[in-house]
Amino acid sequence: MKLRSDRDLVALRESILRERDPNKTCVTICGGTGCRAWGGEEVRLAFIEEIRKQGLEGKVGVMRTGCHGFCERGPVVVILPEEIFYQQVAVGDVPEIVSKTLRERRVVERLLYTDPATGRVITYDHDVPFYKGQTRLVFSDNGRIDPTEIRDYIARGGYSGLSKALFSMTPEQVIDEVEKSGLRGRGGAGFPTGRKWRFTRSSPGEVKYIVCNADEGDPGAFMDRSVLEGNPHLVLEGMLIAAYAIGAHSGYVYVRAEYPLAVQHLKIALEQAEEMGLIGDQILGSDFSFHLKIKEGAGAFVCGEETALLASIEGKRGMPRARPPFPAVSGLWGKPTNINNVETYANIRSIILNGSSAYAAIGTQGSKGTKIFSLTGKINNTGLVEVPMGTTLREVIFNIGGGIPRGRHFKAAQMGGPSGGCLPAQYLDLPIDYESLTQVGSMMGSGGMIVMDEKTCMVDIARFFLSFTQEESCGKCVPCRIGTKRMLEILTRITKGEGREEDIDLLLEMGRIIKDSALCGLGQTCPNPVLSTINYFRNEYEAHIRDRYCPAGACEALVFAPCENTCPVRCDAAGYTALISERRYEEALSLIRLTMPLAAVCGRVCTHPCENMCKRGEIDQPIAIASLKRFASDWELSSGSMAPPVFLEKPKAERVAIVGAGPAGLNAAYHLGRRGYQVSIFEALPLPGGMLSVGIPEYRLPRRNLMNDIRFICQHHVEIKTGKALGKDFNIDDLFHQGYKAIFLAMGAHKNQRMSIPGEDGPGVLPGVDFLRRVNLGEKVEVGRRVAVIGGGNVAFDAARTALRLGAKEVSIVYRRTRDEMPANDEEIEEAEHEKIKLLYLIAPVEIVRENGRVRGLLCQRMELGDFDASGRRRPIPIKGSEFLMEVETVIPAIGYVPDLSCLPLDGGFKTTKAGTLQVDPITLATDLPGVFAGGDLVTGPSTVVEAMASGYRAAISIDKYLKGQDPRRDRAYQALRRVDVPKAEGEEEAATSKPRAKMPAMDVNRRVCTFEEVNLGFDEETAVREAKRCLRCDLER
Amino acid sequence: MKEVILKIDGREVRAEEGMTIFQAAKKVGIEIPHLCYREGLAPTAACRLCVVEVDGSRTLVASCAYPVANKMVVRTDTQRVQEARKLAIDFLLSDHPYDCMTCEKSGSCRLEKYAYEFGIRKSRFEGERHDYPIRGRNPFFERDYNKCILCGRCVTVCHEVQYCEAVDYSERGFATKIAAFFDRSMQETPCVFCGNCVSVCPVGALSEKAGRFKGREWELQKVPTICSYCGVGCTLVLNVKDGKVLKVTSDKELGINRGWTCVKGRFGFDYIHSPDRLTEPLIKRDGTFRQASWEEALDAVAEGLKNIKSKYGADAIGFLVSAKCTNEENYLLQKVARAAIGTNNVDHCARL
Repeated sequence: MKLRSDRDLVALRESILRERDPNKTCVTICGGTGCRAWGGEEVRLAFIEEIRKQGLEGKVGVMRTGCHGFCERGPVVVILPEEIFYQQVAVGDVPEIVSKTLRERRVVERLLYTDPATGRVITYDHDVPFYKGQTRLVFSDNGRIDPTEIRDYIARGGYSGLSKALFSMTPEQVIDEVEKSGLRGRGGAGFPTGRKWRFTRSSPGEVKYIVCNADEGDPGAFMDRSVLEGNPHLVLEGMLIAAYAIGAHSGYVYVRAEYPLAVQHLKIALEQAEEMGLIGDQILGSDFSFHLKIKEGAGAFVCGEETALLASIEGKRGMPRARPPFPAVSGLWGKPTNINNVETYANIRSIILNGSSAYAAIGTQGSKGTKIFSLTGKINNTGLVEVPMGTTLREVIFNIGGGIPRGRHFKAAQMGGPSGGCLPAQYLDLPIDYESLTQVGSMMGSGGMIVMDEKTCMVDIARFFLSFTQEESCGKCVPCRIGTKRMLEILTRITKGEGREEDIDLLLEMGRIIKDSALCGLGQTCPNPVLSTINYFRNEYEAHIRDRYCPAGACEALVFAPCENTCPVRCDAAGYTALISERRYEEALSLIRLTMPLAAVCGRVCTHPCENMCKRGEIDQPIAIASLKRFASDWELSSGSMAPPVFLEKPKAERVAIVGAGPAGLNAAYHLGRRGYQVSIFEALPLPGGMLSVGIPEYRLPRRNLMNDIRFICQHHVEIKTGKALGKDFNIDDLFHQGYKAIFLAMGAHKNQRMSIPGEDGPGVLPGVDFLRRVNLGEKVEVGRRVAVIGGGNVAFDAARTALRLGAKEVSIVYRRTRDEMPANDEEIEEAEHEKIKLLYLIAPVEIVRENGRVRGLLCQRMELGDFDASGRRRPIPIKGSEFLMEVETVIPAIGYVPDLSCLPLDGGFKTTKAGTLQVDPITLATDLPGVFAGGDLVTGPSTVVEAMASGYRAAISIDKYLKGQDPRRDRAYQALRRVDVPKAEGEEEAATSKPRAKMPAMDVNRRVCTFEEVNLGFDEETAVREAKRCLRCDLER
Repeated sequence: MKEVILKIDGREVRAEEGMTIFQAAKKVGIEIPHLCYREGLAPTAACRLCVVEVDGSRTLVASCAYPVANKMVVRTDTQRVQEARKLAIDFLLSDHPYDCMTCEKSGSCRLEKYAYEFGIRKSRFEGERHDYPIRGRNPFFERDYNKCILCGRCVTVCHEVQYCEAVDYSERGFATKIAAFFDRSMQETPCVFCGNCVSVCPVGALSEKAGRFKGREWELQKVPTICSYCGVGCTLVLNVKDGKVLKVTSDKELGINRGWTCVKGRFGFDYIHSPDRLTEPLIKRDGTFRQASWEEALDAVAEGLKNIKSKYGADAIGFLVSAKCTNEENYLLQKVARAAIGTNNVDHCARL
């Protein structure tokens, strides 16, 4: 049927609508490439079959639609007209859907989408958060029409934009309208579309061309494919309107051959449009004629560059040429040519139909309309997201994208594909548009958004993108062909641990000049990933170069084993586990003590980030790495003998003073002592250990074990002087006068942070750290019958469990967020639950209510979780009118603690940070005072034992270099570990895979609440050996 | 042509619309460094040596291809420009053999020239270098793509001057190279061995086989001459050392051929020093040649012609002239045929 006038088109639409019942049930199955890969096609066939079987034929339609965008949850099935949203539908689910939903109008609950953030089950697709946050203009009909059926498109108003342009607008008016809409090229550069059209129209010449750039090639970008697959007529209509405006009579769609479905749907659409007289001679009876050809590209990335694309259409090698002349003046075969991207053309119809002002109402000042992003990488909801320009990254990644999987943290998002740059967390609230992205060193590009978590190495990712662009370089110009190759070689050597100090500056110089001097857009942008990762993650580059260390644990050549790589002090867990499996406990402990002298301590209270990275955890549960360390240490203690000290260097005369005998100070002393220095530790408290002694209760870390570790350290030329407080008993100058050549400050953070609520001061309120210190130092502390502890960290849990042991009958922990956000160790939370401590979530204290000076209770307010805050956690928001009184006699605030800097001469050269900690050089830990270094909680604020130890180690390296007159910034690499000589146990692998993680035996719950004896009893020998054998020995794979 | 006025390095320059910045600069004596650009060939803008700063442009632009415009402000010698040029040379040297000591191009090599001018002894970059086999099964020239800087001049010449399309770019990224289709030898392509690609190669990637290791560039005497093969009259440049022609090159500034030649002119010169070459008249008597003077030889020819004419008539004699001769020579010979002998038997053979 040929349409011969605009009236024909209207008549056709009306007749289609008349034939169709808008209330007829229709099962739409996503036919995008993603859902097809999930098995969507089989599901569709199953629906047809099942509907026939259950006798609903003719009553229910089945439609294969274009991409719905929510690729993560494919195959997606939406039942119209209600828009019931089923996800991850399998062939086996079809009979139930047909019988329940189609016949009985009941939903199949288990196939509905559950919002992981709220746990709410959602029935309709417009309520799914993934769609709710979107504004789907280009995608409005994707998922509602069958892309191979032009009548579906026409029924939804298709080609009415064309007919409006042809019969009621002059070409100039069309261009005016597009120009006023503010639409900018969606291919990446963002050139104003209307202006481009005007240039082409005003270029002299009879013959002009229209070209659609559908050579989408960025890794991780698939929005153009989705539009072509799901709604090809929308693109054709946009091209027709453009052709009319410009005065072109023929055109090309240049589409990648790797998009077979897009090519197929385009061809079908073209054929149907030609058949109806919508493409061809005298379209709709007007005197406008237009012919279109589809040209399949052979998959060269550079053919997305417009001049290369045009060369490719001409049958030449796809190589860019210098501009000017621009295609608008001299394009295809030397004729004026307008070239736009798929998404740009897909925006045209709505601009013509609804007017430029409606379009311009969406977006930001300089960037109008919506933009489709393809959300990929470490993100829960992989898929296509269409949002107004100016939407923040946080909105897209967390609210629509559902955040980062496995509870990991957002690290960066690579925007604009391999030519773009990465945006770190600090830009999560940046409104995304063309200008804002360019300003922060990234770009819009085609709209790829690759999300990365902390396991992504930024050097490696830069290397990956550059290797892509290098391979895809056309090879024409020198900076791109050779320059990027040389950059890639430098990046490769950095990721192999062979980087050189000057490499970062060299990369910056090369990147800058290549951007400035390359021939085309590819060369001018391909250094961006390198430049932006250096800009935002320079410390990672430095770690690779100076420490031969990949913080993300991604660079194979640098990672000995994931556990070792993750450990802040690089304790070789794989090695000692292997030795324990062979019952070589003495060697195991020696290996531990190479980097980790506090074996008994970390075997008990470490947060063991190593276990989170353990590969065994991906099969069942991680190896009990920390408990094995404890086992090795306990074994020594029970044997009654202590391993002799091992020195790396001869004894030296130089003396080093350390202030604070906590984990940072102790570890620094150990590593300095091993290098031959004479070390004195000055400790203000009457006993050494810092927080280990006075912060962590005995039931978690018995004093006997702690002191054994400290005794081991003291064998290495280390003396500890207790009861000596800096600022009271001595000062920094005194230490230098006494002949100490370097000083390490590690006084920790022992001062409570105030809650700043009424009633905080006075009896009955025991600040957490003070409370624990007093108890640990043997003071008798009274607590009431009912105790409320405020906070969610380890101190809160230690305080709560201690209060219980002091006789409290009812102990509650009050936390303003949920368990997911709690910073305390999982083990701690579980133990507290065992001990019947009440955990109250989403509650915040408002006031401590007193009566006659005594605490009567805690006035609380309930909270709910709102949007994500800067830390990537949902922000707690008070619920109005939800206040209630919790009756307690004692309140223990434990919301945080800060260093006490009053002992330091802050006017004498020390600087502090906004967080109230001491400021040091992040690499060397040097303060502004020569010879004085600082680390641990004093610098980081409250952190973990193992982090404090790591900081002590780094200080020791710096002090050693300082005293030897070496550059403290160079060659800071950890000593290379040697693989232990334990082969992988043959044949045991299979047996091991079925063994679950050994459980830590613990004291009976009823007994433990009345004693400070250690709760966890430790592994016996057989359990330890068996557990050690579960190790998969990743260290042998490298 | 419309005139445009622009500023280059602070000087006001009048140029014609359609000119490139490079050409406009040259007009006022500003020579912009360049490797891939060659006058007379369409610019490829590949080497990025001729980049300059243009006010209002985000990046540097290639002056060889960038058209001038009115009120344009151009800077050709800033630090930014020099850094980019130096890095381009550094990059090229990082994938170029250091064998200038035995390279035939040494002395006229443009890469050597700029490496010297920028003072780059050794590239800062290590890393992969190409190790292609040297191609040269044909008798005329050798292709050593290890030295190739991918300026693209040979491709442009082959496609746009000679219309052979025998070579083109192949592969991508760092592996990009110039090759015949499927990497075949030149004999298997439409190549006519005009050698014009050799003449435009700015480095030693394409080089004549003749004269190899017989004389350095600066030892060769350049003798312009007219090709003796045909009547077109191309200007060739004989490269002479110790009285011997080692190779034939051409010069785009000389003659009607503007530097282009055909295979004969460029490569067909071995006859010059051939021992088989006739250097004096010979007369054959009783089956053997003997030396003769020109007088004796011409007499013998005249005698013979007269005899034939008297015995068999003038039409028993025919004259063949040659395209290698000038028009005047051909005219004179037909005059001899018609006026002196009396025959119209005059014909032509280009191979003579």
